[in-house]
Amino acid sequence: MNTGLQVRNLSVSVPTTSGQRLAVDNISFDLPKGKSIALVGESGSGKSLTAYALMRLLRAPVQIEGGEVVLNGELISNLTPQEFRKIRGGKIGMVYQDPMSALNPLMKIGKQIVESILAHSDIEKNAAKKRAIQLLQEVGIPAAEDSFNAYPFEFSGGMLQRVVIAMALSGNPEILIADEATTALDVTTQSRVLNLISQLAYDRGLSVLLITHDLGVAAQFADELVVMYAGKIVEYGEIRGIFSKPLHPYTQALLESRCDYTIDFTKPINTILGQPPKPENRTSGCAFAPRCKFKEDICESNDPRLESVLHRSVACLRVNEINALSGRE
Amino acid sequence: MTTSTKKKGNVRVLTRISSIALFFILFAFIFAKFVSPYDPTELAVAPPFSSPSWAHFFGTDELGRDSFSRSLYGGRITVLISILAATVALFLGTIWGFAAGIFKGWLDEVLMRTADAMMAIPALLFALVCISGLGASFVSLTLVAGILLSPSTARMARSALLVEISTDYFTAGIASGLSRWKLIWNEVMPNVASQLLVQFSINAASAVMLEAALSFIGLGVQPPSASLGTLILQGYAKIYNSYWYVLFPSLLVVLIILLFNAIAENMRISMESDKSSS
Repeated sequence: MNTGLQVRNLSVSVPTTSGQRLAVDNISFDLPKGKSIALVGESGSGKSLTAYALMRLLRAPVQIEGGEVVLNGELISNLTPQEFRKIRGGKIGMVYQDPMSALNPLMKIGKQIVESILAHSDIEKNAAKKRAIQLLQEVGIPAAEDSFNAYPFEFSGGMLQRVVIAMALSGNPEILIADEATTALDVTTQSRVLNLISQLAYDRGLSVLLITHDLGVAAQFADELVVMYAGKIVEYGEIRGIFSKPLHPYTQALLESRCDYTIDFTKPINTILGQPPKPENRTSGCAFAPRCKFKEDICESNDPRLESVLHRSVACLRVNEINALSGRE
Repeated sequence: MTTSTKKKGNVRVLTRISSIALFFILFAFIFAKFVSPYDPTELAVAPPFSSPSWAHFFGTDELGRDSFSRSLYGGRITVLISILAATVALFLGTIWGFAAGIFKGWLDEVLMRTADAMMAIPALLFALVCISGLGASFVSLTLVAGILLSPSTARMARSALLVEISTDYFTAGIASGLSRWKLIWNEVMPNVASQLLVQFSINAASAVMLEAALSFIGLGVQPPSASLGTLILQGYAKIYNSYWYVLFPSLLVVLIILLFNAIAENMRISMESDKSSS
């Protein structure tokens, strides 16, 4: 069964000055086979924690508080650590923000890929080496055979990110999690790496979970968009719909603060005032209320729930009023 | 940039000189049979308490034995004990520290507090108690010195392991489905090996001192074999009529400790400058 990945009610808690608090609060989303979704939000919104929770890479005292992860119809969130090792790399591969530190600096690139190939198949070392060289070619490393014996410091950031992608693909996963995979790269390299990921996703039928704070990257890449704020999903739906008509005030503000060459440079760039609340400072009511220009008393007393509006989910108490309002203007 | 390269260059030269010097000394010890001009147990090769001369570099002892030959054979035992003890400490300490770092939790607490407790007891006192319990011999000396040196090694191994485990590439390894044990063996071990080697050298120096100290109070190597510590003990009694008897073995002990420490220190510095330059 290839139904992709379903995440249900996932919560992650982190230690704060006032005890364990939820940094990822009851989030659910679907990653259908062959599709890609982008998880966007500011720093501290819980995007990366979500990815690490999916891979069960969190270390105490950060811990998963609950939730279910279903892969191809099989519940993988209650597998034993030994069973789960087959999922890591074998079903879900991961690419990281900083390729420099994601590779062992004292070990040849090829050997690191061979190691992860051997973790998932019972082939001989020589066959694994051939496979590693193939992978390096597939991710566009020139002179793959020479690069096999290179150390990470001999490569540039973009090249290393390709190596990390090759490593993530070494176990033939069905899902690729790219955690800020292009953040540490410059813009031209960024678009090349993104093109590579989408090419690989197309060729291999991968589902991609892209974690980014760059809406441009998300727009270029994903089919669906999940907007997170303070550990919760505030808007979730098909990406073109959200870009053309954002419903949640936070998404609207995010899109209004975008900069590209079409903006009017004579006017100041729109910003969202303030900072997202830290987990220990979150109060009841909508977490975005203090920064929201549509805030009313009800927003500070009642928790918004994700409700379906116009084929997508939005967590805003005043979503109907606001959008009627913006429609009139 | 230039100063750091220069410093690194100096370090390299120093390491090389210390290593060569230590190598020569070890060579002389190992091949004492061929290097030493006399049999160390042969009596009256010259009058007792002869002063140093070209025939007897270190003079002779109370029975007219050649002190130079006796020092070479003694040094062999001392260095052998110290290297074996450092090896014991390396194995024990690495397993100890790694176990604490890998399993965390209560085991970590128990292991590290035990290490603290052991390090809180004065080393010589601890060694005295153990040796008097086990009986003085080559094996007990090696084991006790090795056990004594393992807590500090364990601390170092644990902290080095924790640094490696917290790196992104360790997490990346876990995320690509490798087992923790495999990662620790294949990736962490080689990366902490240089630090462990430094600790080995420091431990060897400490073991030389410990051996000399224990032999000096008569709890070390037992006659007829003699280590440098034993020679110092015998020479100490005659310090007023023939100072060279105690002087040369003591100088050898100092020199060996200095060289082991110099090598450790230089390895550490060159490792640090490697890290800061990258």
